[in-house]
Order: sequence, then C-alpha cells, then structure tokens
Amino acid sequence: MITRIGMGMGIATLLATQLCAQDSRQQITMPFRDPSMPRKLIVEGGTGSLTIRGYQGQDAIIEYTGREIPPANNRTNRAGRNEPPAGMHRIGESRGLDITEESNTVRVNNQSLFGGNGRDMVIQVPAQTSVNVKTMFGGNMTIENITGDIEAENFNGQVTINNASGSVVAHSMNGKILVSLDRVTPDKSMSFSTFNGDVDVTLPADTKARFKMRTDFGEIYTDFDVKMEANAAPVVEEVKDKNGKSRRRVRVDGTQSGTINGGGPEMQFTTFNGRILIHKK
Amino acid sequence: MNCEQAKTQMLGENQGDDFAAHLASCDMCRSEASRIGALWQSLDLLPLDEPGGQVRERFYEMLGAYRQGMASAEPRKTRQLGQWGWQIAAAAALIAVGLALGYVVRGNGQPPAEVSQLREEVANMRQLVALSLMQQQSASERLKGVSWSYQVEPSDTEVLNALVTTVNHDPNVNVRLAAVDALRPFTGSPATHLAARNAVVQALPKETAPIVQVALIDFLAELKERNAAPELRRLVSDPDIDSGVRKRAEWALERMQ
Amino acid sequence: MAEVSAGQVARLAVLFERYHRGLFRYFVSMNRDREQAEDLVQEVFFRMLRYRTSYDPAHSFTAWMYQIARNAGVDQVRKRGMAQVVDIDSFALVSGSPGPEESVSRGQDLALLRRAMGQLPEDKREILVLSRFQGMKHEDIAEVLGCEVGTVKVRVYRAIRALEQIYFSLEKEKVS
Repeated sequence: MITRIGMGMGIATLLATQLCAQDSRQQITMPFRDPSMPRKLIVEGGTGSLTIRGYQGQDAIIEYTGREIPPANNRTNRAGRNEPPAGMHRIGESRGLDITEESNTVRVNNQSLFGGNGRDMVIQVPAQTSVNVKTMFGGNMTIENITGDIEAENFNGQVTINNASGSVVAHSMNGKILVSLDRVTPDKSMSFSTFNGDVDVTLPADTKARFKMRTDFGEIYTDFDVKMEANAAPVVEEVKDKNGKSRRRVRVDGTQSGTINGGGPEMQFTTFNGRILIHKK
Repeated sequence: MNCEQAKTQMLGENQGDDFAAHLASCDMCRSEASRIGALWQSLDLLPLDEPGGQVRERFYEMLGAYRQGMASAEPRKTRQLGQWGWQIAAAAALIAVGLALGYVVRGNGQPPAEVSQLREEVANMRQLVALSLMQQQSASERLKGVSWSYQVEPSDTEVLNALVTTVNHDPNVNVRLAAVDALRPFTGSPATHLAARNAVVQALPKETAPIVQVALIDFLAELKERNAAPELRRLVSDPDIDSGVRKRAEWALERMQ
Repeated sequence: MAEVSAGQVARLAVLFERYHRGLFRYFVSMNRDREQAEDLVQEVFFRMLRYRTSYDPAHSFTAWMYQIARNAGVDQVRKRGMAQVVDIDSFALVSGSPGPEESVSRGQDLALLRRAMGQLPEDKREILVLSRFQGMKHEDIAEVLGCEVGTVKVRVYRAIRALEQIYFSLEKEKVS
C-alpha cells in the first residue's frame, strides 16, 4: 500500500531501515515518486553478487549483506577496520553505499571502498522498470522477471537473465552470458557479448530477427532454422552435442549473419573465447 | 478543506497542507486516498504495448514523399509499403547497385521525377533515423541507430561522425562494438575513407574493453593501417592488457608487414 | 515544434522518435486494434506535418498533438460507419500473450485490472490513459478535452473510482 506523504520533489536520500543487525543484513525501501516518467533502476559498482527481481509491488526494495568476517575475536580484519565491540552491532549507513531517487529513477551506487568488504545485493523492483547495471569486479549478476529494457555489464562474473520481456543488452568481460527471453518486443535490437565465456540465449520459437554471430575460438550452435546470408561461405553441419541432442553447427571465420522467421531487428552474439548457443523455446 | 475538495486532490501533484490536514482528521477520506492511491500506482504495472516494426519505415516514407511534394504522400493504410513505398525502395536499391535510372513514375501519372531528387530524399530519411536513434537514452535504440547507419550512403559524413562519437564515447560496450563494425562501409568511400581509418586508429588507445579492442585490432589488420603500429606494439608489451588481446595485436603487426 | 512551423519539415523525425510509442499506446487503449492504432499514428504525424502552421508555440505541444489524435480517431470511426467493437475482456494496452508477471500466484490482480480497464466507459478510460499513462499535466488534458482544469481533476477522480468499483466487483465474481 502506498500512501502519499508530503515529501518535497528534491532528491530523496537513503532511508535506512535496520533489520537483523546481527547478521548484518540491511533493507532499504525507496519509492518511485514521479509516475509521469518511466521507472528506471540504475546500479553501479559492487564487489558481491547482484540479483535484481521484478515483483508485483511499487517500490524499489534493496537488501544487502555485508561480507564481514565473523567477529570471532576483537582483532581487526584484513581491511584494517575494527570489529564491533563484543555484544554490539553497528548502526547507520555503510560507507560507500549511496541510494537516491530522482525523476522516477532509483540509483544505487555501491562503490565499496578500496580494500573494503564485498556486498551481496538483492533488489526488487516493479516488473515494468528499465534496468541499467554496471558492476566492476563483481560476482555473478542475475536479473529476473523484468519487462522493461535491460542493460547489464559485468566485469568478472556471469550475467544471467531470466524471464525477460524487454530488450536485453548484456556484456561480461569474463563470464558466461545466459539469457532467456519470454517475449521479444518487435523492433528492438539486442546484443549479447563476452570476452571469455559462452553466450547462451533462449528465444521464443516465433521470434523474427536477424542474427549476427561471431566467436573467435568456439563454435556456434542453434536449433533455429537460420537462413544464412552469403558473406563468407559458412559450413552448416548437423552435430550431436554432449546431451545427444541434434544441433546445427555453423563453422566459419568472421561474423556470420542469418535471419530467422523472415528476419527482423538485429541480435548480435559475440564472444572471443567461447561458444554461441541460440535455443528455441 | 471538505471531503468533496479533498477527493479531487487525492491524485493530484501538489497536494498541500490543507489536504494533509483534512486526511489527518477524516477517516473516510484517508482510507479512500490510500485505496485509490494504490490502484493508481498499480496501473503502472500493466505492461506497455509496442508498435510493430513497420511504423518507422512508413513514417519516413511519408515524410520523404511529403518533402518531395507528391500528392500521394497520404499515409498508407495497408500493411505493405504500398505502391509508392515499393518505388522508393526499388530506387534506393538501384542506386545502391550504382545503376542510373532515368525516371521513376509517380503514382498520379504526372511527368516522372528525377532520380537524384529521390536519391536525396531517401538519403535524408535514413540519415535522420540513424542520427536520431544514435542519440537515444537506451542502448537498444542506439544499437538500432548503428544498424540503420548501414542504410546510408557511405559518403555520409554526418553519420560517420556520429558513429565515431559512438565508438569513442558510448558508455555501453555492445554499442561501441557494433559501431566499430559499422565503420567498415565508410572505409570504401573516397569521401570518408581517410576519416574512417583515422577514427579506428584513434579509438584503439582509448578503448579498455577487450572485446572491442580485438574488433579494432582486426579492423586495423584488415586495412593494413601502418599508422596503428606504434599503438599495437605498445599493447603487445603491456602486461596489464589481456593476453588474448596482446596475441591479436602481435598477429596484426605481422599481417601489416 | 516551432522549427517545424518555420518549414523545416525534417525535424518532425525527431518528434516521431520521441512520441510515436506513446501515441500508439493511446490509440491501442482506446479500443483500436494494433493495425488501426498503427494507421492512426501515421495519420497523426501526417496531419501534424500538414497543419504545422496552425501550431502556436505558446501552447503545449502534447496538447496540440493529442487534439489531433482524438480528431483522427473520431474521423476513423466515422469513416467506418460503426462503433468500435469493444472486447471487454482484454484491455488492449497489454499485448496478446500473457507476460511473465502473470504467473498464477501474482498475476491474477493484473489480469483483473486489465479487464476492469476494458470495462470502463470510453471517456473515463481516456482520461485515465491521458493522465496516468501519458503523464499529461491537467492543464494540457483540459486543453485537449476542451474543459476546465478543475473539471479534469474531478473527472480523473471519478474515473479511478469507477475503475475501483469495477475491479472489486470483478474480484467478487471470481471468488463466488
């Protein structure tokens, strides 16, 4: 239930609501306050895992767990910070975490201090929210049940996107890109890329699109009927993958282009060291 | 403030102190405000519908035809691009293949128009789409803008500049990657090939994402662009650079000998 | 928009990129099927181009655009010579296939909400769409609908109340 309290239209800052301080799990609720603008969630920084989930509510709910070394004794931990005195817990904002809302955009800025502890984060937002995430040195990133447009960039970790219905633009420098789309909005371009890892994307069987696929060291597999465009002559062969399932394998150098279901907006699949797998749902 | 007045303020933007005061003292209005407030908010949860792929093409077709002063600029009611759209598309295709076509017959039977006028219309339309899309806030739209750039004339310096800006400054890795590839057609046109080649050389030292670095290096190797050699050598010897990238830089230097 | 008035027709393209989706959604929610909605979007931009000199930069652009949109919608109905068939079970703002949010546990409310929107009388639905989904200011809506700003507030309130009643009666139906 949302009740409108007379908050000014300025930037709302962090409203810290302490939950179980003992296990250092914190939860913050940030409302989206300007319904004339589309909802957006921006997350930057971070050193832990990040999960973003669409839910049937109105606010952004940010839950995070600090990876503190358990206070077995009173010695300072590796980061040089003091453990809390026996029997006490810390109150107040964690350093390096900044959450603001302006013009219906909630921005979570998680620049953990150099040498600081990692934070695992779970953020829930209404399903119809655009999500823009960029993490450095992060763990795995998971985004689920979002119907808005998704832009996700991870540095050292997987990007897993489930039950997406908007456009997806995803990248990891070092990690697998695993995407499953429930619905493909007509006319939206998408791109999935990684330097080290597989690009594994599942699309509805009736998707219309033009694929551009490139891997420098790896193979391309699909169970779609792809009408290849004749740039370099590709070799299309039927192979059985390790599960015994029949797949078509496309082998050639350079970028391969082809269309499914008559063609449509472009979808780019790029990896340097890894396979490309495009599944039909 | 009475209940009647309060009701009209419940969904309003600036509710004011009077309203807050009334709510504090009136149970009925308070509960009503919270109920309809919740309903109001939840309307936002309904997913949004998206127009189909042809809407943009039809619009630009109409715009181009209008500028041309054609009587048949009336918007097409059919799914297909219609007779006029077919003619524009055909003319564009013929231009792309380099054929000179004398005339294109207009729908209303008047004397045919010059292909060069048509050519300009088509080019302007596509340029507009590409440029406007590349400035959009969402990465998906900017990607679309980059893919539209393949539709413009390779001599189009405005679009080339937009692509170069995208390669150098776009915050999204995927968009930069797509923009690098989109520069290729511009290296084939006498008007723009120097600017395009130079852009690739300049972009390499600034780029930090390995997947884009490799795309730039491959491009430079294809072009046999010797101006990039110093930067390539620097990459080979920089231990902070990913080993895959370094190997590719080495390979590129060899190819350029 | 002033640039368009000055004859630089091409700037309409930028406006297209910014507004065509919103217009599409407006038409689709006013009982147009997707094809008709797409046709109407074209018609609106064509009319904005053609009648661009009638736009007064002192006034709100979105108000002008939606006035044209409503007229185009009315003209289409006239041309077809019959009232639009209303599918009360589906509010057309949502696409045909169920989205992920419609999982059994959570989705029932949204499906019901959709149906309730579809059952609203057209004028109430329109004012909700303009104020909630298009995010138009009350002053602009007043200009579009040709009424007073105060009236807009009352009408928005009445519309959401009507929606609430329909929604709850649908909910009761489900339970019984």
